[in-house]
Amino acid sequence: MFLEQLGGNLIQGLVLGAIYGMATMGLSLIFGVLKVVNVGHGAFVMVGAFTTLWVFNALGLNPIFALPCAFGLGMALGLFFYYTTIRRLIKAPELASLLATFAMGVLLEEIVRLGFGSEFRGYNWVAGKIDLGITVLPLPKLYASIGSALIALGLYFWFKRTRAGNAMRSVVEDSEGARVCGVNVGWAYALSFALGIGLTLMSGVLLTMFIPVGINPYMGGPYTLKAFVIAVLGGLSSPYGAFFGGLVFGLIENGSYTLFALIPGVEPFALTRFLSFVMLLVILLIRPTGLLRAK
Amino acid sequence: MNKRTHKYLPLFPVLAAYIVMFIIGDNVAGMWQLVGMLAFYCALGQAFNIFLGMTGYVDFGYVAFLGVGTYGMALALTRIKNLEAFGLGIIPIGLLLALVMGILLSLAVGAVALRLRGAYFAIATIGVNEGFRYLIEGAKIWNGAEGMIFTAQMNEAFGRDTASAIMTYWSDIFVLVIAALAALVTLVYMRSKIGYALTALREDEDAAKVMGVNVTKYKIIAFITSAGFAAILGAVSWALKTPYVFPPEVFEIHYTVEAIIIVLLGGAGTLLGPVMGGLVYGISKYYLSIILPGFQLLIFAPVIIIIILLFPEGIVGMLKARLKGTSLESFVI
Amino acid sequence: MAVYQVSLEIGQGEFVGIVGPNGSGKTTLFNVISGVYYPEEGHVYFEDKDITRLPPYSRAPLGIGRTFQIPRPFGSATVRENVAVGAMFGARGGKVGVEESMAIAEKTIDRVGLAEHREKAAGTLTPVEKKLMEIARALAMSPKLLLMDEAMAGMHPNDIDQMVEFIRKIAKEDHIAVVAMVEHIMRAVVGMAEKVIVLHQGAKLIDAPTKEALEDPRVIEVYLGRPKEVQAC
Repeated sequence: MFLEQLGGNLIQGLVLGAIYGMATMGLSLIFGVLKVVNVGHGAFVMVGAFTTLWVFNALGLNPIFALPCAFGLGMALGLFFYYTTIRRLIKAPELASLLATFAMGVLLEEIVRLGFGSEFRGYNWVAGKIDLGITVLPLPKLYASIGSALIALGLYFWFKRTRAGNAMRSVVEDSEGARVCGVNVGWAYALSFALGIGLTLMSGVLLTMFIPVGINPYMGGPYTLKAFVIAVLGGLSSPYGAFFGGLVFGLIENGSYTLFALIPGVEPFALTRFLSFVMLLVILLIRPTGLLRAK
Repeated sequence: MNKRTHKYLPLFPVLAAYIVMFIIGDNVAGMWQLVGMLAFYCALGQAFNIFLGMTGYVDFGYVAFLGVGTYGMALALTRIKNLEAFGLGIIPIGLLLALVMGILLSLAVGAVALRLRGAYFAIATIGVNEGFRYLIEGAKIWNGAEGMIFTAQMNEAFGRDTASAIMTYWSDIFVLVIAALAALVTLVYMRSKIGYALTALREDEDAAKVMGVNVTKYKIIAFITSAGFAAILGAVSWALKTPYVFPPEVFEIHYTVEAIIIVLLGGAGTLLGPVMGGLVYGISKYYLSIILPGFQLLIFAPVIIIIILLFPEGIVGMLKARLKGTSLESFVI
Repeated sequence: MAVYQVSLEIGQGEFVGIVGPNGSGKTTLFNVISGVYYPEEGHVYFEDKDITRLPPYSRAPLGIGRTFQIPRPFGSATVRENVAVGAMFGARGGKVGVEESMAIAEKTIDRVGLAEHREKAAGTLTPVEKKLMEIARALAMSPKLLLMDEAMAGMHPNDIDQMVEFIRKIAKEDHIAVVAMVEHIMRAVVGMAEKVIVLHQGAKLIDAPTKEALEDPRVIEVYLGRPKEVQAC
């Protein structure tokens, strides 16, 4: 009985982990290309979540349609923030971009709060479920997970096959060399940042497909921490590592929840959150550049 | 004026500001609450500046130290039997406990985080406040998510009237004292080898190492000092003023945001900066809450960005540049 | 592997030049000596002490000073404060106090000829002034070994001669300062070094008195013979 429950939770963890992983890809992309840590990451996830709300409630559309909306909005926001702020901070001391991205996150939270209010919201997308024996998986969750994997795959091909993607990869390797070879490095930076933000907003959509409740302006905080744990797990500058790191994290998160629930007198949900924080410190202690060797 | 006084000249404007604040608050009707709030922001800024300003590292989990300090005082009040016998003596006990807890937490976090450079350090600190909060809630220590209320204990220890006086008056005075102490320590550091080491490592960590600066040691010194002050600030300004502690409230990242705004606005790494930043931010927030309630972060978030892009040296930084070569130069650092 | 099996010895007060084309491993060698990298194999000895695994900030007080190719001033601090840092943490085992360091800084700044810029923010100096300050900062450490990394890079030939004279003078005056240099610029090497070590592709090619080394046909081939590799786009 316990094993069944553990197994079920682990599957759920894997499914959620794919989404977490996809959510972190944007973060890793931005760090890989621009060497900027987006401390406001969670706020962008939140914006994606609210986009879904809007698409579902105002437009009456299936959340899947929120994906392109979120991506478009994300690209726009990314370009906006890049050209107004990030561009000037690439050569500045690290502290500057840390604080600036942090402030961006706060700004987004406040704008959303003033626009939508701080109550917790959700939506209800009834789409059926799939029975896997040890656990039941609502279809939205499955779609979200598959969607994440597809997006990750899409990113992989984009980097390998398209000119823009290759240009970005060359900038990661050697920005001076890339410049000499005719790559417009400035534009590569802008595109990378915009793409990273676009990915992050999309992950907000997928996240709500998994957890369609609790959407509020301040929901981003925990996701920033999770994203960083995953990012250092998979290699801070590797988007693919981030994806696999997400899977691992999802497994650990759900597995630990089941185990904590067995201990009397503790609050398993809170302890799981504490655990993710401990994981972060442990990984940073052992190998800050990433535990999983990914390409 | 002999050499020793000259060294401590810059402390005068800081102390003058705090004394003026006290006088205004004490004598002008209805101002005490505002002064109390301003005092908190100045103290918060002074404490945070010791780390952010002097090392150039940002600790996103800073509020954790305020929270832990609050718990320190709360524990002193709730766990000690026979409070009446201790009376006001509970307060130093609570402060000591807060300080010890704050230092322990900073050592625990610092042991990992301070080995890391720049961005990695910031990442490591992102979860500290939440992490600690969820440890308390998860393991149900110190009453877990329910928190603690200790109004009754305060009344028992100090007597109703004194307790009330502490909550509404004396705690704010303590906060001003903490702010002044933090400023003093900042100045002492600035004038000593510690200050030079911190400046060197802030400007160029690798060059500093090659010059012989043990950067980790000095980062730890700044980190622990900053954390210690935050802890006693929490103990005084949160526990003694509002006699309850509730985990989601005392570990809220909001306070770290405010600390960052105050230090950046005033001028990171300067002595007078946190005072200016605290006053400007506090007064702005106060008046904004009257005319445009709930808008202050919306306004200050882009302000942070503008400061980073255009005025990284902050108000006092710009003031210093203006005053260079004049007689006021040695008062403003 | 950037540097492979290079052995060298620098005697007290000796003036050694380390040269080699780009990528020959000079900077890596320097980083190993100053403690920025720890070698996978091999040892670094200083005055009979094995310092291989000592962190850089522990090597400085022992007497190892270093200047960087592109000067790294503490930009917002004054020239005096910059140089004082060298004395405070690098001289005499790191036991020098603030006031004494300031005094040492004053003297050293006078020596390098930057006295009038004493109170300026280091970030506002001209490139040549920054180089001089870099040297002053290292000198304030009372080094026994001074590693100078491409100190002449980007300088006008006239200035180089002056700088060479200046460094020779300082090294002689302080007796114990040993200056090891890393230079493309032959003029500087010939002017200063008594002996020269030539590195090529991470290995030691030759270790001989200056004139002999620079006239060795292998060295000439290394500098003139090979076409530079072009980066493939």
